[in-house]
Amino acid sequence: MSDEAQAPIQPWPTGQISGAGWAHLRAFGYLGLKALRNVLAIALQLFAVSIVIFFILRIIPADPLSMLTPGNATHEDAEQIRHAYGLDRPIYEQYFMWLGAALQGDLGNSIQAREPVTRLILAALPMTIELAFCGLGLGVLLGALLGLTAFWYRGRPVERVGETIASLAQSIPDFLWGISFVLLFGLWLNVLPFIGPIDPSMIVERRSGFLLIDTLLAGRWDAFGDRLLHLVLPATALAMIKVALVMRVLRSSLIEAYQDEYVNAARLRGVGEGAILFRHALRNAAIPTVALIGVQAAQTFGGTLLIESIYSLPGMGNLLITAIRTHDLPLIQGISLTYCAIVLLVNALVDLSYLWLNPRLRRQ
Amino acid sequence: MTTLLSPLALQDFAPHDDAASPPLFEARGLTVQAGSLHERPVQVLRDVNLTLRRGQVLGLIGESGAGKSMLGRVIADQLPDGFRVASGSLRFGATDLLALSKRKHRSLLGREIAFIPQEPMMALNPAMTIGAHFREHLRRLGLSAGQGRKAALAALADVRIEAPETVYDQYGFQLSGGMCQRVLIALAFISNPDLVIADEPTASLDVTTQGHIVSLLRALQKRHGTAVLFITHQLRLAAQICDQVAVLYAGEVVEEGPARELFLHARHPYTCALHAAMPNFDGEWRALASPSGQMPGLPEYPMLTGCRFAPRCASAIDACLAEPPVLADCGDARALRCIRPGAVARNAEAENAETNPLSQSKQLAAAPLLKVDNVTKIFRRGGWLSRAPGQTAVSSASFSVAPGEFVGVVGESGSGKSTLGRLIMGLEEPSTGRILLDDKPLGGDEAEWRRRIASIQFVFQDPRAALNPRRSTLQLVTQPLQPGQVSRQQRRAQAEHMLRSTGLPLDTLTKISSQMSGGQRQRVNIARALCNTPRLLIADEITSGLDVSVQAQILNLLLRLRSEFDIALLMISHDLAVVRYLCSRVLVMWKGVIVESGETEAVFSRPQHPYTRELIAALPPEDISKRWAPLAT
Repeated sequence: MSDEAQAPIQPWPTGQISGAGWAHLRAFGYLGLKALRNVLAIALQLFAVSIVIFFILRIIPADPLSMLTPGNATHEDAEQIRHAYGLDRPIYEQYFMWLGAALQGDLGNSIQAREPVTRLILAALPMTIELAFCGLGLGVLLGALLGLTAFWYRGRPVERVGETIASLAQSIPDFLWGISFVLLFGLWLNVLPFIGPIDPSMIVERRSGFLLIDTLLAGRWDAFGDRLLHLVLPATALAMIKVALVMRVLRSSLIEAYQDEYVNAARLRGVGEGAILFRHALRNAAIPTVALIGVQAAQTFGGTLLIESIYSLPGMGNLLITAIRTHDLPLIQGISLTYCAIVLLVNALVDLSYLWLNPRLRRQ
Repeated sequence: MTTLLSPLALQDFAPHDDAASPPLFEARGLTVQAGSLHERPVQVLRDVNLTLRRGQVLGLIGESGAGKSMLGRVIADQLPDGFRVASGSLRFGATDLLALSKRKHRSLLGREIAFIPQEPMMALNPAMTIGAHFREHLRRLGLSAGQGRKAALAALADVRIEAPETVYDQYGFQLSGGMCQRVLIALAFISNPDLVIADEPTASLDVTTQGHIVSLLRALQKRHGTAVLFITHQLRLAAQICDQVAVLYAGEVVEEGPARELFLHARHPYTCALHAAMPNFDGEWRALASPSGQMPGLPEYPMLTGCRFAPRCASAIDACLAEPPVLADCGDARALRCIRPGAVARNAEAENAETNPLSQSKQLAAAPLLKVDNVTKIFRRGGWLSRAPGQTAVSSASFSVAPGEFVGVVGESGSGKSTLGRLIMGLEEPSTGRILLDDKPLGGDEAEWRRRIASIQFVFQDPRAALNPRRSTLQLVTQPLQPGQVSRQQRRAQAEHMLRSTGLPLDTLTKISSQMSGGQRQRVNIARALCNTPRLLIADEITSGLDVSVQAQILNLLLRLRSEFDIALLMISHDLAVVRYLCSRVLVMWKGVIVESGETEAVFSRPQHPYTRELIAALPPEDISKRWAPLAT
């Protein structure tokens, strides 16, 4: 009859227990369930993607054999090689052979390097992840700082300065930033290194493949510092566009959040402006920003390609360029699949972070 | 728990209540100005005098735009940019609020001065649990986490929340509006403040919930001896719970005095007009009258040289326009801002007194226009694979509407009354049952849809949302005309006809909705529905967002349209008085079921179903000598 009669919406099947910690515990249980669902979804999506990749690469008019066979090879020689690689079988059979092996972590052998594709990818992947992670992290950090500053000083000159920086950062593509950094800081000012991942004289035992971690594990502070210096330019080049995007989205969603009544209500309870921004508005405003970061994270892995090329970094991008140049089909397949897996994984993580940020999404 | 956190009071401002004691809160000649140097400043609040003593409830009454909320913003030191206090004083106990530094002012908020907001559902942060709100607030008040939780649970129990522990861990969006408001009241009272400012705390709540909230507020106020500034647009509600009342019009206090006195014997023409515009629920049906036009907006203030109400006042004379009248003490504890006291009586002529709908029910034709036959609507939850039981929004509804008949559907939010309207319009498919128009069932195909919209039209609740903001009134009201079938001249002629019928000036034709007032927008909204002269209009809460005087205009417009176009009306409303004013028959809905129906007068004077009785008991009575049920306990 009154409002009490309306049952509150129960987000989760409620047990008898209820207390301070339980809301969080239940939330985590729920997140776990969601995560499991996401993993299953990723597996399905990867399966679909693998079909697409495999068949598209068979359709394009690139014959990997022509790269393998010597110029004076006879037709029989070619057939022999074709048979050796299983390329004479029906295409679906080839696919299942490839899939079966891929499920066991074997993506075949590179035609050019004559090495397992998996090994090549594992060697290159940490380099790219490290670069993308640093570029994205730097972009988000600077973008958030700039966004918060611009918002805090809204309507004042500081905001316009921030806006100008953002426009500039956004209007130049990352590879151009990369090249101009090389010219400016590398060649002209000569303050930062710009070739390779680390000074070639610094030899560190490879453990995880991530140079930042490996140098630390080896206790080589000098190498760690050198690695950081080498990261500055490529990571900054990658970060520039993200700084602008994050700043804009965060500022506008903060402005939107401040129109909400709960901000006013908090103010009327005497909550200070700082607490209103960080405790009340930021968490609600973060949702569109996280969505953006998710999209950007996925793009960054693709975006490292040119940067790796400019800064001579032996990562996935350079590996892919080589593979394409040599029509190395197994390698192209392997790299494509890896890219897809990473993008799907990032998307799943973003989905989960929504649930953490926005309790409203948790009811079902 | 009488005193939750009494040691928190930083300083004791005044000796305890005593009629002769200095007032707890006092505004003297308070004037708030807007506008920069080169513009002509606008006096948003002009010469406001208010006195509130410890333990008293002061009602601040006015329609939207009167400046009620602006006063709250002055008290909270949160004037919008470009607004400033130009003159006057604002005292809180021994403190001069206007002289306080920003920091000191803020430290008063949530401790000695607490606010209860208007939109409880919006006022809780969706990313924080109820408990997190309390933790934040109590930490500021200096309590440790352990003490805080205890105090919060006690405060929640204090506002009659049955399961405080559960609510503590929930989020605002999981609770009903009434529950949210309880939480906010608990937050407001937990610091045992001296002054609570309640800004339309029940405006967005159901009637029965309103009763609960008001009685709770009154009980807490009495127990703590708190002074309450109760901002509302409901005169009757104010008469029930306030000790003193001040009526605000266009930024001025026009009349002030003891609540009951002022309610029974209004002196200012505006207060009288408010009375005359308010549909009554008990007593004889009486025609509503409303002053023409609407409250002036801020840009018009500088043009109003004299009394700000004069342009709308029926008894205004030339002297009224000469200079602003002062708020004069009448000697009997009342004050009035009018140079012609006594010239006004409640004699405003009713626009159409002869169209009392309650006496017209017998002349209706026998063949129904619309028949709703055992209609049920179940909303499925979750995806298409979900096996969760659906929610029954409407359950086995059967009724009919005769041509030209005005039927009211009353009930609270969630009762299914809006869904019923949408089912008839065809915006939702019934799960079972049939809807018949002229005794032929309405099907779902294109031809049937044409037949349906030719006869039935829908007026949506919020004209701001229902009218495309980029279209002119001309385009909006003639939207139902098929393009290509009418010439430009015909279209314009039809639009002008619709504007005349709905009482809009012709220059509205070229305006877009943001250039119009709320009342004008709702008229355009209605005009559009009438464009193809439907035979049945479904109006879903069309006056709930409007001020009383504008509401009266719209209600009278509907009565006039009935005689002009002979349309039938299905009036969906939570306001029993509105339904009584318009409708000869009424359906009472509760949890999707029509629990009672019949002639309006019979249902409302002799309600059979307990729910109908509860709804009626929740209305503040017109006769204020009667005790209002929620305050009786």
